[in-house]
Amino acid sequence: MGLASGLSLAVVVLAGSPTAPCTLEDDRGQPFRVCFDPGTGLELGVAVDGRQAPGAALTPGVSAAILYRTERESRSKEGSLWFNEHRLLATRVQPGGDQRWLRGTVYQGLFRRHLTEGFVLVPTAKPLRLPFPFDLAITASVGTYERRVFDGPGFVFESGKAAVLLDPLRSQTGKAHLLFGPALSHTLRSDGREVTQEISPMTSGLVDFGFETEDGWWNLRLVGVAGMVFTPGQAGVFRARGEAVAERVLFAVNDAPLWESARFTYALHDAGVARKDEWAASLGLTVRLFGR
Amino acid sequence: MATAPLLLVVSALLNQSDVPVEEPPPPTPGFEARGMPPSTAPGEGSGEAPALPPAEANLARPQVEPAKGALPQMHYDQVVHCGVLRSSPQVPSGQYRIQCNDKIKVCLATPTHVLFDDGTEGPEPLTRVVECATYSREDWAVKAREGYRFLPAIADAPPGWVRDERGRVMQVSFDLNRRVYLGAAYAPTASRLNPAFGGRTRADFGVAIEFPGEEGNVLNRIHLLESEIFLGASTEIDTTLIRYDWSVSRQAPLFWITTFFGSAVRHDFSFDAGGWFEALHLESVKRGDQEANNFLTLGSAQLTLDLWHSRDLVSYLRVRAGPAAEVDTARGFTSLKGQAALDGNLTFDADGFHHAHLLVTAEQLYFDPVVEGRAVNPSRLKIRAGYEVVFIAINDYPLSLVLDARATWRDDLPGVLPGWEYGGEAGLRFSFWAPARRGASPQKAN
Repeated sequence: MGLASGLSLAVVVLAGSPTAPCTLEDDRGQPFRVCFDPGTGLELGVAVDGRQAPGAALTPGVSAAILYRTERESRSKEGSLWFNEHRLLATRVQPGGDQRWLRGTVYQGLFRRHLTEGFVLVPTAKPLRLPFPFDLAITASVGTYERRVFDGPGFVFESGKAAVLLDPLRSQTGKAHLLFGPALSHTLRSDGREVTQEISPMTSGLVDFGFETEDGWWNLRLVGVAGMVFTPGQAGVFRARGEAVAERVLFAVNDAPLWESARFTYALHDAGVARKDEWAASLGLTVRLFGR
Repeated sequence: MATAPLLLVVSALLNQSDVPVEEPPPPTPGFEARGMPPSTAPGEGSGEAPALPPAEANLARPQVEPAKGALPQMHYDQVVHCGVLRSSPQVPSGQYRIQCNDKIKVCLATPTHVLFDDGTEGPEPLTRVVECATYSREDWAVKAREGYRFLPAIADAPPGWVRDERGRVMQVSFDLNRRVYLGAAYAPTASRLNPAFGGRTRADFGVAIEFPGEEGNVLNRIHLLESEIFLGASTEIDTTLIRYDWSVSRQAPLFWITTFFGSAVRHDFSFDAGGWFEALHLESVKRGDQEANNFLTLGSAQLTLDLWHSRDLVSYLRVRAGPAAEVDTARGFTSLKGQAALDGNLTFDADGFHHAHLLVTAEQLYFDPVVEGRAVNPSRLKIRAGYEVVFIAINDYPLSLVLDARATWRDDLPGVLPGWEYGGEAGLRFSFWAPARRGASPQKAN
């Protein structure tokens, strides 16, 4: 409880004042936006990517995604809020050079339900209510395809991944979360000749930390998954993958913000068809058109 | 007369205080919206009587009696008014929900906000309460003078929910036929290949949706991505993209028989037939050192006939049968599959805590080519029975204990001698969504 409260307090302090105006006026009375939502819009990005590979040079990369974030009251459990994030057709590509690579996800969603007072109900004759200091969340992704041309033939296709998560931060906005919990996934891995199935039946753990300032100028996301995956008839393999993304608004053109972004990923026994260990980093610029 | 405005200003300034005052909780939505200031005294502002000073106005309002023993419960299906009673240290705003019984001249009163642990009024409004019928300026003191008593109570809660003394509401009825679930179980199995029960685990997930038809005599069910993954001694994956079925309760019997032993008695016989459809059902089975067998049912259509169903159609015992097209993806051919099943699903209690299911499925393949190591027209017989009980709920989501037993006979696996396999499973299942059941019982009033 103490740690959770401390984290919540730190997040509140860092997030800034929730009442600061989002539209200011210049000396001539012309309005301009100073608050942005990095979770909504058509995301387009360019970056310089580097990867831990023999002879790998820095190469340009592009990215795109459709982002949509909602906040709504629960229909089946009125009085509590759902904070939902949707990412559609999230794609990153390194189209040229000796590091040609593509990774795309058809859909990824995060759904967190915030309750003023979390609890565990023990259904005795007079229902017993015990404190439970977590929000509950569920995350799911469908259809993640990765093709690494520089690795030779083959692909990795994660058909689905889902996780049930706890959130000790229990933020009252959709701008901060610290989620962790067990995950299950199903993956097809092809070396160009044979396709093998991999399953992680709740034998992996997923961590997802997201934080952004109230004005959306700073945006930080850390996501990691680690655990055992099994190919039917074979021994399990431990694998881990983590990604950190930090963004800062540089400037806005006609109220459309441009973010500078830095990304770092690390894979342990999980990069490509051959399950290599690998790090990758990129530095780039991102815009989110039609955002809020 | 010229000094009057000046006096008003001075008076206003004198009434301001630098002493910080604990801010009362925000008024319940609806009070201001309906033009009723929370602290309005009886008759104040109505033009009917002169305004009383705040302290006297408060004293003029009826007081809620101190609690004696267990608090009574307001009824969810009876009219509730919102009004202002005498404020107290526990309820400084004086805002109450009030439900009166004219026969016994008792009004139940409950604060409009959730109470803190110490019993004082907090900032969070009550949720899942019926809308107040009026936000009137009714002079509750008149009722007190008529002999009405104002007793502290627990606010009303909708069917399937209960409210505690602090006003916090919690769900105690769960519809497990409407949920998104994830589960894990220990699932040992024994077979001719592994005579001793071998260690195996199961992960399962899926989405279940159930909704009645407009006239109430049809119940539709949709299951999405219903999946079971077994790892260990006998690896298996069983997943279905979508399944849809419906049950019908016919208004009139198909026929009836009248018996004349003693007095005449009429016996109705209904023909409650429905449909059952499935698309993209994958069964991946691996035994011993054999390659995995992948059987993909492209589509299946079956006629169902209810042997019995509950009045709400949720529980049933039925038979169903029909054809399907199945692809053996490893060997690349398609067969016609005949299926027949005895299918039962029972919910034992009104709040949906106890469930049992039974499924006996017989399948036989036709028009399949000769496959080395297995019989022509192979068949499968699968028997499964299980019990699921909700034992706790976390943030209104049920966590249930799942017990399953199953037996399978099959001769469709090349290189594997036909025979029985037995399995038992015990595990946990966590369900999202799971709203209160449509037939949930209301909270019992004290």
